[in-house]
Amino acid sequence: MTYRERTRAIDAAARHWDGPYRPYDLIKEATIAVTIVGLIAVTLAILFSSPDEAPTTIRSWSRQNPVDFVSTAMGELDGTSTTAEYGPPYDHGPKAQHLAFIHLQSWLGIAHPINTAQDYVLGPLAALPGQPALRSALATYRRAGSARQLAWDHAYERALTKVADSATAIRAVHGPNLGPVPTLMDSLLSFAQGGGLDGALLANRQFYSTDYTKILMLLADGGALASRARAEHLLGNQWGMMNETGSFPGQGWLWLYTMWYQIKPFSTSPNADIMVMAVMFVLSLGFVLVPFLPGVRDLPRLVPVYRLIWREHYRSTRP
Amino acid sequence: MFAAIINLNGHAGYVHWGFIDLSVPNLIVIVAMFVVFLIALVAPFPGHRRRGRS
Repeated sequence: MTYRERTRAIDAAARHWDGPYRPYDLIKEATIAVTIVGLIAVTLAILFSSPDEAPTTIRSWSRQNPVDFVSTAMGELDGTSTTAEYGPPYDHGPKAQHLAFIHLQSWLGIAHPINTAQDYVLGPLAALPGQPALRSALATYRRAGSARQLAWDHAYERALTKVADSATAIRAVHGPNLGPVPTLMDSLLSFAQGGGLDGALLANRQFYSTDYTKILMLLADGGALASRARAEHLLGNQWGMMNETGSFPGQGWLWLYTMWYQIKPFSTSPNADIMVMAVMFVLSLGFVLVPFLPGVRDLPRLVPVYRLIWREHYRSTRP
Repeated sequence: MFAAIINLNGHAGYVHWGFIDLSVPNLIVIVAMFVVFLIALVAPFPGHRRRGRS
Protein backbone atom coordinates (compact mmCIF):
# COMPACT_ATOMS: atom_id res chain seq x y z
CA MET A 1 0.00 0.00 0.00
CA THR A 2 1.46 3.36 -1.01
CA TYR A 3 1.75 6.28 1.40
CA ARG A 4 -1.10 8.08 -0.40
CA GLU A 5 -3.39 5.04 -0.16
CA ARG A 6 -2.54 4.61 3.50
CA THR A 7 -3.33 8.26 4.40
CA ARG A 8 -6.53 8.08 2.31
CA ALA A 9 -7.63 5.05 4.34
CA ILE A 10 -6.94 6.94 7.60
CA ASP A 11 -8.96 9.92 6.33
CA ALA A 12 -11.88 7.66 5.38
CA ALA A 13 -11.79 5.92 8.79
CA ALA A 14 -11.82 9.28 10.60
CA ARG A 15 -15.05 10.38 8.92
CA HIS A 16 -17.06 8.07 11.14
CA TRP A 17 -16.65 8.06 14.94
CA ASP A 18 -17.53 4.92 16.88
CA GLY A 19 -16.00 6.00 20.17
CA PRO A 20 -17.69 7.55 23.21
CA TYR A 21 -19.21 11.08 23.29
CA ARG A 22 -19.05 13.52 26.17
CA PRO A 23 -21.01 16.75 26.82
CA TYR A 24 -19.15 20.05 26.40
CA ASP A 25 -20.53 23.38 27.65
CA LEU A 26 -19.15 25.98 25.21
CA ILE A 27 -20.94 28.93 26.90
CA LYS A 28 -19.47 28.00 30.29
CA GLU A 29 -16.00 27.63 28.76
CA ALA A 30 -16.24 31.03 26.96
CA THR A 31 -17.56 32.76 30.12
CA ILE A 32 -14.67 31.43 32.22
CA ALA A 33 -12.11 32.37 29.53
CA VAL A 34 -13.45 35.93 29.06
CA THR A 35 -13.64 36.46 32.84
CA ILE A 36 -10.06 35.30 33.42
CA VAL A 37 -8.67 37.33 30.50
CA GLY A 38 -10.67 40.39 31.66
CA LEU A 39 -9.28 40.11 35.19
CA ILE A 40 -5.73 39.74 33.87
CA ALA A 41 -6.22 42.80 31.58
CA VAL A 42 -7.56 44.98 34.43
CA THR A 43 -4.76 43.86 36.78
CA LEU A 44 -2.06 44.58 34.17
CA ALA A 45 -3.64 48.00 33.41
CA ILE A 46 -3.57 48.89 37.14
CA LEU A 47 0.03 47.71 37.47
CA PHE A 48 1.56 49.10 34.27
CA SER A 49 -0.92 51.68 32.84
CA SER A 50 -0.27 52.49 29.15
CA PRO A 51 2.33 54.44 27.09
CA ASP A 52 2.15 58.16 27.79
CA GLU A 53 4.46 60.04 25.41
CA ALA A 54 4.25 63.81 24.90
CA PRO A 55 3.24 64.46 21.27
CA THR A 56 5.57 66.04 18.74
CA THR A 57 3.82 69.06 17.24
CA ILE A 58 4.94 71.50 14.55
CA ARG A 59 5.08 74.10 17.32
CA SER A 60 7.47 72.06 19.48
CA TRP A 61 9.55 70.97 16.46
CA SER A 62 9.95 74.51 15.06
CA ARG A 63 10.97 75.77 18.51
CA GLN A 64 13.50 73.01 19.17
CA ASN A 65 14.98 72.71 15.65
CA PRO A 66 14.09 75.87 13.70
CA VAL A 67 16.67 75.20 10.95
CA ASP A 68 15.33 71.70 10.38
CA PHE A 69 11.79 73.08 10.24
CA VAL A 70 12.67 75.82 7.73
CA SER A 71 14.78 73.41 5.63
CA THR A 72 11.81 71.03 5.52
CA ALA A 73 9.48 73.90 4.57
CA MET A 74 11.86 74.79 1.72
CA GLY A 75 11.68 71.18 0.51
CA GLU A 76 7.90 71.50 0.47
CA LEU A 77 8.14 74.81 -1.40
CA ASP A 78 10.52 73.62 -4.13
CA GLY A 79 8.91 70.16 -4.44
CA THR A 80 11.87 68.05 -3.28
CA SER A 81 10.45 66.75 0.02
CA THR A 82 9.53 63.09 0.56
CA THR A 83 5.83 63.97 0.45
CA ALA A 84 6.24 65.99 -2.77
CA GLU A 85 7.89 62.98 -4.48
CA TYR A 86 5.83 60.25 -2.78
CA GLY A 87 3.25 59.70 -5.50
CA PRO A 88 -0.31 58.48 -4.83
CA PRO A 89 -2.38 58.84 -2.69
CA TYR A 90 -0.94 62.36 -2.20
CA ASP A 91 0.45 63.60 -5.52
CA HIS A 92 1.94 62.67 -8.90
CA GLY A 93 5.45 62.29 -7.44
CA PRO A 94 7.90 59.97 -9.21
CA LYS A 95 8.53 57.54 -6.35
CA ALA A 96 5.32 55.47 -6.49
CA GLN A 97 6.22 51.86 -5.69
CA HIS A 98 5.68 49.00 -8.11
CA LEU A 99 6.52 45.33 -8.52
CA ALA A 100 7.15 44.29 -12.13
CA PHE A 101 3.93 45.20 -13.96
CA ILE A 102 1.98 45.75 -10.72
CA HIS A 103 1.69 49.51 -10.16
CA LEU A 104 -0.72 49.19 -7.25
CA GLN A 105 0.07 52.61 -5.74
CA SER A 106 -0.59 54.41 -9.04
CA TRP A 107 -3.68 52.33 -9.81
CA LEU A 108 -5.34 53.37 -6.54
CA GLY A 109 -5.03 57.05 -7.54
CA ILE A 110 -4.75 60.29 -5.60
CA ALA A 111 -7.28 59.96 -2.80
CA HIS A 112 -5.77 62.55 -0.44
CA PRO A 113 -4.23 65.30 -2.60
CA ILE A 114 -1.39 67.35 -1.09
CA ASN A 115 0.19 70.22 -3.02
CA THR A 116 3.17 70.69 -0.72
CA ALA A 117 4.06 74.27 -1.75
CA GLN A 118 0.48 75.48 -1.56
CA ASP A 119 -0.70 73.44 1.46
CA TYR A 120 2.35 73.82 3.71
CA VAL A 121 3.77 77.25 2.79
CA LEU A 122 1.90 79.55 0.43
CA GLY A 123 -1.65 78.68 1.55
CA PRO A 124 -1.15 79.12 5.33
CA LEU A 125 0.82 82.34 4.76
CA ALA A 126 -1.86 83.77 2.44
CA ALA A 127 -4.47 83.15 5.17
CA LEU A 128 -2.60 85.33 7.70
CA PRO A 129 -4.36 88.68 8.18
CA GLY A 130 -2.54 92.02 7.78
CA GLN A 131 1.27 91.93 7.31
CA PRO A 132 1.68 93.97 4.11
CA ALA A 133 5.36 92.95 3.75
CA LEU A 134 4.36 89.28 3.72
CA ARG A 135 1.53 89.96 1.28
CA SER A 136 3.95 91.73 -1.07
CA ALA A 137 6.51 88.89 -0.77
CA LEU A 138 3.82 86.33 -1.56
CA ALA A 139 2.71 88.27 -4.62
CA THR A 140 6.31 88.60 -5.83
CA TYR A 141 6.93 84.87 -5.38
CA ARG A 142 3.72 83.85 -7.14
CA ARG A 143 4.36 86.22 -10.06
CA ALA A 144 7.88 84.91 -10.69
CA GLY A 145 8.48 82.07 -13.14
CA SER A 146 9.36 78.62 -11.85
CA ALA A 147 13.03 78.98 -12.87
CA ARG A 148 13.31 82.19 -10.88
CA GLN A 149 11.52 80.65 -7.92
CA LEU A 150 13.90 77.66 -7.95
CA ALA A 151 16.95 79.96 -8.12
CA TRP A 152 15.70 81.85 -5.01
CA ASP A 153 14.86 78.57 -3.25
CA HIS A 154 18.26 76.99 -3.89
CA ALA A 155 20.14 80.14 -2.90
CA TYR A 156 18.18 80.33 0.37
CA GLU A 157 18.74 76.61 1.06
CA ARG A 158 22.50 77.08 0.56
CA ALA A 159 22.49 80.07 2.94
CA LEU A 160 20.50 78.04 5.48
CA THR A 161 23.20 75.37 5.72
CA LYS A 162 25.61 77.94 7.15
CA VAL A 163 23.49 79.35 10.00
CA ALA A 164 23.24 78.29 13.66
CA ASP A 165 20.10 76.42 14.79
CA SER A 166 18.20 79.42 16.12
CA ALA A 167 15.30 81.59 14.96
CA THR A 168 17.48 84.72 15.31
CA ALA A 169 20.12 83.28 12.97
CA ILE A 170 17.46 82.31 10.43
CA ARG A 171 15.92 85.79 10.49
CA ALA A 172 19.36 87.25 9.76
CA VAL A 173 19.55 85.40 6.42
CA HIS A 174 19.03 88.02 3.72
CA GLY A 175 20.52 88.84 0.37
CA PRO A 176 19.67 90.22 -3.06
CA ASN A 177 19.69 86.76 -4.70
CA LEU A 178 17.16 85.31 -2.27
CA GLY A 179 14.15 87.30 -3.50
CA PRO A 180 11.11 87.21 -1.20
CA VAL A 181 11.99 83.77 0.30
CA PRO A 182 13.48 85.09 3.60
CA THR A 183 10.29 87.08 4.29
CA LEU A 184 8.15 83.99 3.55
CA MET A 185 10.23 81.71 5.76
CA ASP A 186 10.51 84.21 8.63
CA SER A 187 6.71 84.54 8.66
CA LEU A 188 6.19 80.78 8.42
CA LEU A 189 8.63 80.14 11.27
CA SER A 190 6.88 82.70 13.51
CA PHE A 191 3.49 81.22 12.61
CA ALA A 192 4.70 77.69 13.37
CA GLN A 193 6.41 78.64 16.63
CA GLY A 194 3.18 80.26 17.81
CA GLY A 195 1.24 77.05 17.12
CA GLY A 196 -0.77 78.52 14.25
CA LEU A 197 0.48 76.12 11.59
CA ASP A 198 -0.69 73.08 13.61
CA GLY A 199 -4.20 74.54 13.61
CA ALA A 200 -4.09 75.68 9.97
CA LEU A 201 -3.13 72.19 8.74
CA LEU A 202 -5.76 70.50 10.89
CA ALA A 203 -8.64 72.75 9.84
CA ASN A 204 -11.21 71.14 7.57
CA ARG A 205 -14.90 71.30 6.83
CA GLN A 206 -15.91 68.88 9.59
CA PHE A 207 -16.88 70.04 13.09
CA TYR A 208 -14.44 67.61 14.70
CA SER A 209 -10.98 67.65 13.12
CA THR A 210 -9.53 64.18 13.16
CA ASP A 211 -7.53 64.15 9.92
CA TYR A 212 -3.90 64.60 10.94
CA THR A 213 -2.49 63.49 7.57
CA LYS A 214 -1.01 66.83 6.52
CA ILE A 215 0.59 67.47 9.90
CA LEU A 216 2.04 63.97 10.06
CA MET A 217 3.40 64.13 6.51
CA LEU A 218 5.12 67.47 7.25
CA LEU A 219 6.57 66.11 10.50
CA ALA A 220 7.74 62.97 8.68
CA ASP A 221 9.51 65.08 6.03
CA GLY A 222 11.57 66.73 8.78
CA GLY A 223 14.06 65.19 11.17
CA ALA A 224 12.22 65.55 14.49
CA LEU A 225 9.90 62.57 14.16
CA ALA A 226 12.62 60.28 12.78
CA SER A 227 15.01 61.17 15.57
CA ARG A 228 12.38 60.42 18.25
CA ALA A 229 11.47 57.18 16.48
CA ARG A 230 15.16 56.16 16.29
CA ALA A 231 15.60 56.76 20.02
CA GLU A 232 12.58 54.52 20.73
CA HIS A 233 13.62 51.77 18.25
CA LEU A 234 10.54 52.46 16.13
CA LEU A 235 12.15 52.90 12.70
CA GLY A 236 11.45 50.36 9.98
CA ASN A 237 15.08 49.19 9.94
CA GLN A 238 15.01 48.67 13.73
CA TRP A 239 12.20 46.08 13.71
CA GLY A 240 10.11 49.11 14.72
CA MET A 241 6.81 47.63 13.53
CA MET A 242 6.80 45.25 16.50
CA ASN A 243 8.12 47.70 19.10
CA GLU A 244 6.33 50.06 21.46
CA THR A 245 7.51 53.26 23.16
CA GLY A 246 9.21 52.99 26.54
CA SER A 247 9.51 49.53 28.08
CA PHE A 248 6.08 48.34 27.00
CA PRO A 249 5.84 45.16 24.94
CA GLY A 250 4.82 45.85 21.35
CA GLN A 251 3.15 43.99 18.50
CA GLY A 252 5.19 40.79 18.58
CA TRP A 253 2.82 39.11 16.12
CA LEU A 254 4.12 41.45 13.38
CA TRP A 255 7.59 39.87 13.54
CA LEU A 256 7.30 38.27 10.10
CA TYR A 257 6.17 41.52 8.43
CA THR A 258 8.98 43.59 9.95
CA MET A 259 11.64 40.88 9.48
CA TRP A 260 11.68 41.30 5.68
CA TYR A 261 12.62 44.99 6.03
CA GLN A 262 15.86 43.95 7.81
CA ILE A 263 17.23 41.77 4.99
CA LYS A 264 18.20 42.28 1.35
CA PRO A 265 16.75 42.90 -1.19
CA PHE A 266 13.93 44.47 0.86
CA SER A 267 16.19 46.62 3.08
CA THR A 268 17.76 48.39 0.09
CA SER A 269 14.87 48.48 -2.37
CA PRO A 270 12.81 51.62 -3.04
CA ASN A 271 9.88 49.23 -3.63
CA ALA A 272 10.24 47.44 -0.28
CA ASP A 273 6.63 47.94 0.84
CA ILE A 274 5.01 46.33 -2.18
CA MET A 275 7.64 43.55 -2.19
CA VAL A 276 6.91 42.72 1.46
CA MET A 277 3.17 42.86 0.74
CA ALA A 278 3.64 40.39 -2.12
CA VAL A 279 5.71 37.97 -0.01
CA MET A 280 3.18 38.09 2.83
CA PHE A 281 0.32 37.58 0.36
CA VAL A 282 1.97 34.43 -1.00
CA LEU A 283 2.71 33.12 2.52
CA SER A 284 -0.84 33.89 3.70
CA LEU A 285 -2.22 32.11 0.64
CA GLY A 286 -0.08 29.10 1.52
CA PHE A 287 -1.47 29.19 5.08
CA VAL A 288 -5.07 29.28 3.81
CA LEU A 289 -4.33 26.40 1.43
CA VAL A 290 -2.66 24.14 4.05
CA PRO A 291 -5.33 21.41 3.64
CA PHE A 292 -4.42 21.16 -0.05
CA LEU A 293 -0.61 21.22 0.23
CA PRO A 294 0.88 17.71 0.24
CA GLY A 295 3.43 17.28 2.99
CA VAL A 296 2.35 20.38 4.92
CA ARG A 297 -1.14 18.94 5.47
CA ASP A 298 0.44 15.73 6.82
CA LEU A 299 2.37 17.53 9.58
CA PRO A 300 -0.19 16.72 12.33
CA ARG A 301 0.25 13.02 11.49
CA LEU A 302 4.04 13.27 11.36
CA VAL A 303 4.26 15.43 14.52
CA PRO A 304 1.37 14.09 16.64
CA VAL A 305 1.13 16.86 19.24
CA TYR A 306 -2.61 16.11 19.46
CA ARG A 307 -1.77 12.76 21.04
CA LEU A 308 -0.02 14.61 23.87
CA ILE A 309 -3.06 16.88 24.45
CA TRP A 310 -5.56 14.00 24.33
CA ARG A 311 -3.19 11.51 25.97
CA GLU A 312 -5.79 10.24 28.46
CA HIS A 313 -8.13 9.36 25.61
CA TYR A 314 -5.42 7.55 23.63
CA ARG A 315 -4.25 5.77 26.80
CA SER A 316 -7.83 4.53 27.35
CA THR A 317 -8.15 3.27 23.76
CA ARG A 318 -4.83 1.39 23.87
CA PRO A 319 -5.47 -2.37 23.56
CA MET B 1 -5.53 60.54 36.59
CA PHE B 2 -3.63 57.74 38.33
CA ALA B 3 0.06 56.97 37.94
CA ALA B 4 1.07 53.42 37.10
CA ILE B 5 2.26 51.30 40.03
CA ILE B 6 5.13 50.06 37.86
CA ASN B 7 6.40 52.75 35.47
CA LEU B 8 7.30 51.38 32.02
CA ASN B 9 7.91 54.71 30.32
CA GLY B 10 11.71 54.38 30.58
CA HIS B 11 13.85 53.06 27.70
CA ALA B 12 13.76 49.31 27.08
CA GLY B 13 16.77 47.02 26.77
CA TYR B 14 17.41 45.27 23.43
CA VAL B 15 18.81 41.85 22.56
CA HIS B 16 20.93 41.72 19.38
CA TRP B 17 21.51 38.41 17.62
CA GLY B 18 22.77 38.71 14.06
CA PHE B 19 20.26 40.85 12.23
CA ILE B 20 17.65 40.22 14.96
CA ASP B 21 16.99 43.16 17.28
CA LEU B 22 14.43 42.25 19.93
CA SER B 23 13.26 44.37 22.85
CA VAL B 24 13.42 42.72 26.28
CA PRO B 25 9.66 43.38 26.93
CA ASN B 26 8.81 41.63 23.64
CA LEU B 27 11.17 38.78 24.53
CA ILE B 28 9.44 38.37 27.92
CA VAL B 29 6.02 38.21 26.24
CA ILE B 30 7.24 35.67 23.64
CA VAL B 31 8.79 33.46 26.34
CA ALA B 32 5.56 33.75 28.38
CA MET B 33 3.56 32.66 25.32
CA PHE B 34 5.75 29.56 24.90
CA VAL B 35 5.41 28.77 28.62
CA VAL B 36 1.60 29.05 28.45
CA PHE B 37 1.61 26.85 25.32
CA LEU B 38 3.72 24.18 27.04
CA ILE B 39 1.49 24.29 30.15
CA ALA B 40 -1.58 23.91 27.90
CA LEU B 41 0.03 20.82 26.36
CA VAL B 42 0.98 19.02 29.55
CA ALA B 43 -1.57 20.24 32.15
CA PRO B 44 -4.42 17.73 32.62
CA PHE B 45 -7.93 18.81 31.62
CA PRO B 46 -9.86 20.00 34.66
CA GLY B 47 -12.51 17.51 35.80
CA HIS B 48 -11.05 14.53 33.93
CA ARG B 49 -10.15 12.65 37.08
CA ARG B 50 -13.55 13.42 38.63
CA ARG B 51 -15.40 12.15 35.57
CA GLY B 52 -13.14 9.16 35.18
CA ARG B 53 -12.54 7.39 31.94
CA SER B 54 -15.50 7.04 29.62
